[in-house]
Amino acid sequence: MFNSAGSVERLINQLARLPGIGRKTAARLAFHILKSTREEAFELADTIREVKEKVGFCSICYNITEEDPCKICRDPQRDRHTICIVEDASDAAAFDRVEGFKVLFHVLGGRLSPLDGIGPDDLKIRELLNRLDDHVKEVIIATNPNVEGEATALYLSRLLKPMGIRVTRIARGLPVGADLEYADTVTLTKSLEGRQEIK
Amino acid sequence: MIIRNIEINNFRNFAGLKATFEPGANIFFGDNGSGKTNFLEALFVLCLGRSQLGAADNVLVKQDSDYYRLEGEVAAGDNRHRIAVAYQKGSRRRLAVDGVTARPAELFERFCAVSTGPEDSVILSGPPGARRMFLDMYLSQLSPRYLSELTDYHRVLSQKNAALKNEIDPAPFEPLLISHGARVMVQRGEFLNALKELSRQYHGEIAGGEKFTLKYEPSVSLSDENNTGPGEIELAFQRTLDEHYEKEAYLRTAIVGPHRDEIFFEIAGLPARTYGSQGQWRTAAIALKLGVYRLLKDRRGGAPLLLLDEIFAELDSNRCDRLIELFGEFSQLFLTTATAPPPQLITNGCCYKIVRGTVENVS
Repeated sequence: MFNSAGSVERLINQLARLPGIGRKTAARLAFHILKSTREEAFELADTIREVKEKVGFCSICYNITEEDPCKICRDPQRDRHTICIVEDASDAAAFDRVEGFKVLFHVLGGRLSPLDGIGPDDLKIRELLNRLDDHVKEVIIATNPNVEGEATALYLSRLLKPMGIRVTRIARGLPVGADLEYADTVTLTKSLEGRQEIK
Repeated sequence: MIIRNIEINNFRNFAGLKATFEPGANIFFGDNGSGKTNFLEALFVLCLGRSQLGAADNVLVKQDSDYYRLEGEVAAGDNRHRIAVAYQKGSRRRLAVDGVTARPAELFERFCAVSTGPEDSVILSGPPGARRMFLDMYLSQLSPRYLSELTDYHRVLSQKNAALKNEIDPAPFEPLLISHGARVMVQRGEFLNALKELSRQYHGEIAGGEKFTLKYEPSVSLSDENNTGPGEIELAFQRTLDEHYEKEAYLRTAIVGPHRDEIFFEIAGLPARTYGSQGQWRTAAIALKLGVYRLLKDRRGGAPLLLLDEIFAELDSNRCDRLIELFGEFSQLFLTTATAPPPQLITNGCCYKIVRGTVENVS
């Protein structure tokens, strides 16, 4: 693509492997790095190295952490009766930003997707079952509202319900702040199906 | 809805042309290979963002070119909209309504088009997939909900098939397969029930009394054919899945569900697929499409675009005459013919001659 030095070409190839980055963007990023100062570029390289060396998975909830167990699992202030199950660490971070929702998490490390070769044994499900003791009263399944996320949620609920734990699923429908007139009919249908009585 | 005009660039054999249309009949004639069918295809793609022949975008691009673009104005009720469909080789097809980017499902929700051509005989004579393709194309226009359920169903189905192939337990996907599948089947059942009566009427009018009937044959066996509510279908679906559990595991593919549905057609008391003639298949296909047109018009509150490709080719003169008598009820229609158009049509319509990728108004 470019008549450039081999190492630049290698950098472009590496960047293009990142999610959401095509070859054009990868080339832009690579040339940006080339133009930046030595310090800036080395800082980026060092940070990437540091992240891989220091960050691992929590042995309890499988969230990303620099210490084991992670901060959330060690926090005595949290509601230890509720576990929120998410697909990835980024989802746990999103829920953890919610005010007044200081619960424990369990990161599955993906979702059921046979198309990608991922079955129940490839997720941290056994580890979840081992965690569930008498303290846990509710499990909130917060997988994505798509086919794979729903299948994962159904699978988990069938495993967990016989254990006598309250199993809940996050709601789906209209986003907050949305304009009804611009919502598509499928979203409106889902919001009608999930309608609730005003308390 | 009415198409006011269209501008075509690098589509099939058209390099660039502009044309304006009137309500009523728009008749296109020209020699074989001049581009009559291509012109109707351009109108269909403009309305729904996909080809009625199932052609891929890179096939629609003119030879020696690397993009196509269609733009046109349609009037639906009191509103006028400009639709644009553009495709560049190597990237994705882009759709816009009034300058705002639109999703493919949005075109299905806002506009509708019914097309019938020689390729339609396959609905009667071809493999079951051809009948399901017909069902999905038109039921999706009638109900955006159907399109969404069908898309989800196929996603779940490919996950289940992948699970069976890779020896992963498919069970987590089955509750979703059943719930989406049941909703697809309920809608198919209702649609075909309504279509049965309408197409029977049209068939009678065109064929002069020859009997035509159809029956929905879902792959899931229902214990009571009159009880087709979602709950009943879900139970039957589960039962059929259980019965075929071992067979599916052995074949490593899902063999139960709406992706294996069938429609059974009967012409003059005999199964159409085995006993029908070319002319009978074509007549039945036209009756089906006119039935779809009526359903869309009644339920969506606006007439769809109607495209009739080579409709006189396989019909006898009586059937042609009776078909032309029906034209009065369509607000706008586009038809092609390789032979001279019947005189009674020319007096009420607008004629265009197509010669090697150019269109000329000759009325």
